[in-house]
Amino acid sequence: MKFDGTDFYAALIHELKNNLGVLSMTLERIPLLGEAEHDASVDSARLLCQNVVDRLHQALLIYKAANQPIHPVLDAYSPHDLVQEIAASARALAHGRLHVETAIAADTPVLWFFDRDLVEMALVNAIHNALAHARSTIRIEAEMEADCLALRVRDDSPGYPEHILESVADGRPYAATGTGLGLQFARLIAQSHDNRGRSGELRLGNDPGAVFSLLLP
Amino acid sequence: MSQPPAPDSDTFIDYGALRALVVDDSPGMRNALRLTLSNFGITKIQMVANAAEAIFQIKNRSYDFILCDFNLGVGRDGQQLLEELRHGNLIALETVFMMVTAESYYEKVVATAELAPDDYMIKPFSAELLCSRLTGILLRKRAFRDVYWHFQAQDLEASIAACDALIHNKPKYAVDALRFKGELLVALGRFEEAEALYQQVVSMRAIPWARLGLARSLHLQKKNEEAEEELRDVLERAPEMVAAYDLLSDVCLEKKDVAAAQEALEKGVAISAKTVRRQQKLGEVAYGNGDLDTARTAFDNVLEKGRHSIFVTPADFGNLCRVQLEQGDLEAVADTLKKNKSTLQANPEGQLVMAVTQSLAHTRTGNLSEAAKALDAVASLRADGTRGDAQLMLDLAGACMANGRNEEADAVVAEVARNAHDSEALLAKAKRLYDEAGRTDAGASVLASATGDVRKLNNEGVVLAQRGDYKTAVEKLLTACNEAPYNPRILMNAVWVILKYIDQVGMNETMIETARTQLREAERQAPGHPRLAGLRLQMKDVETRFGIQRKAVR
Repeated sequence: MKFDGTDFYAALIHELKNNLGVLSMTLERIPLLGEAEHDASVDSARLLCQNVVDRLHQALLIYKAANQPIHPVLDAYSPHDLVQEIAASARALAHGRLHVETAIAADTPVLWFFDRDLVEMALVNAIHNALAHARSTIRIEAEMEADCLALRVRDDSPGYPEHILESVADGRPYAATGTGLGLQFARLIAQSHDNRGRSGELRLGNDPGAVFSLLLP
Repeated sequence: MSQPPAPDSDTFIDYGALRALVVDDSPGMRNALRLTLSNFGITKIQMVANAAEAIFQIKNRSYDFILCDFNLGVGRDGQQLLEELRHGNLIALETVFMMVTAESYYEKVVATAELAPDDYMIKPFSAELLCSRLTGILLRKRAFRDVYWHFQAQDLEASIAACDALIHNKPKYAVDALRFKGELLVALGRFEEAEALYQQVVSMRAIPWARLGLARSLHLQKKNEEAEEELRDVLERAPEMVAAYDLLSDVCLEKKDVAAAQEALEKGVAISAKTVRRQQKLGEVAYGNGDLDTARTAFDNVLEKGRHSIFVTPADFGNLCRVQLEQGDLEAVADTLKKNKSTLQANPEGQLVMAVTQSLAHTRTGNLSEAAKALDAVASLRADGTRGDAQLMLDLAGACMANGRNEEADAVVAEVARNAHDSEALLAKAKRLYDEAGRTDAGASVLASATGDVRKLNNEGVVLAQRGDYKTAVEKLLTACNEAPYNPRILMNAVWVILKYIDQVGMNETMIETARTQLREAERQAPGHPRLAGLRLQMKDVETRFGIQRKAVR
């Protein structure tokens, strides 16, 4: 049998993800005992595990998309369902530690065109940030803004540090670690969505907590 | 997890009543998935490790939800399982099939709606995400209940009307309903309306499936230039969209641009090598182009990647051997036959491929006594009614002539010609065989008489039908069917006149049964032929108007 590097790589990733999946589900089954120290450790182990899972998704996408632009696969999806889905994931991750709210503005259309997996990946990233920094509440919102669907993740943290806000504003690359990498990725995802000459955008702001907004044309 | 909402509205789903099937090769994952499902109240769960077990379970009882891992270790993968389920009509449209994959690139590989799962989950995923996706799909299928019901009763008009109702009353499902309606219009041969529908979706947003649908409906109206332009543009924006390469190759073939057709298929194969039918087509097109190396690789891949696929037939072994023979690589031929001996010997069609190939190989090495033995084996298989594909039968005719068995050769060629009296490519190949054997005149007469009889009966039947003499037309075409029982054109014409005849004189049970049998045979011989949908519809219409009882089981 001849050795095929790509197949081997794919098989390895497959197995890794299986293991990680089982690990993540195992962690989900550890009961909380009401003891601060135990519960906090379990909580952070779960979060960290889910974080690794989400980073692995990103890593794979970057690996595949190396040297070529991201091609979103557009279809019609319900922004309402998307917000509820993201909120459900956020609640599962928060495990009651934080309050997760949703707010869908009346003008949010029943259907919008986007690549659900990419958009979800970007929003889940923002959820991870919010989980790490929020004091008590995370809010996931949808509304229309300048003919774009705006999807937001809002928290009551002290807000994004100045250097991150600046680098997003001038579109400079971030330091390729942690939050920075995730945000850069979210920006690429937003920009890959275009419609009639208009590109999507990532906007970060403080109001007063961190506000992460994806604008999809 | 919280409890599902009370059964107050049309958004309640009773997960406790849902029957689920989990397909995963890893016991750890199976167990984890079972726990995930039980998290939101699914308790009726059957778990299996591979595709074969899944098919066994699905044949035994129906499932509402199938959660299947794409990678199932040795044997068929999840996509091959899904294709087999859809192809064999083993799962209803109401059944939710979700594919679990390790990567997000899976979707692009199977962009054709009929072969795509309802959704796919990139693992690992949370119970919450699975639950909210599954709920969404179940509610959508509930909204599509009427659409599916009419579709499964083959009442496509009513199914379209139900789509229209959704488009107008349920904006959330409007785009899904448009997508389904587009496919119905294509199935009914209403390509202009399909084109307008896809155009309407594209004007909302240029989503890939709508552009592909648009290109397909253009191609079906023979507007191949426009179709090609659309496809080339789609591929520029979404180069991974393999379904677009498949369609592009069809468009190029119809434009007789065989080199471009091959190029399109090669690009598709480069992205996704696993699809057996793409490899088969690449092999055929490359063989037609005289590119034996590419053809051989493709046919090799058909057998290699399709080892567990239902789409591999004995003809595929014959195709590979034919190329190997033409390359003069007799060792490879022997190797192919040896490696696949047990598969080929399992049925008469396989035995026929084996015997024909052996006769050709022995003829080539000059071992005429072995060649004669193989040809005797072929003769006895044929005497029992075993048939091969047209290419194989022409190979056989060549072997017969090379061994001085001209009478047998002529009979084989006549049979091929009768059943394909309008296929230029096959008739040309038959003519070449006779030229090479120095029997040009004999060939001309065999071909002329074989196609002439069928053509005459067919034309007479059609002319009579056009004059309104359906009774005699039916007689002529049924005689033609006896002469050429596998000729799709003749079969479809016969069905058409029988339905006209019944329309004129009233129901005749024997006649309509004959028409049904012939329509089934035509579907087998020319799957996807544009006339079939219309004939099915006329059949349905005649059955309804003359009150065939089978409709009573509602």
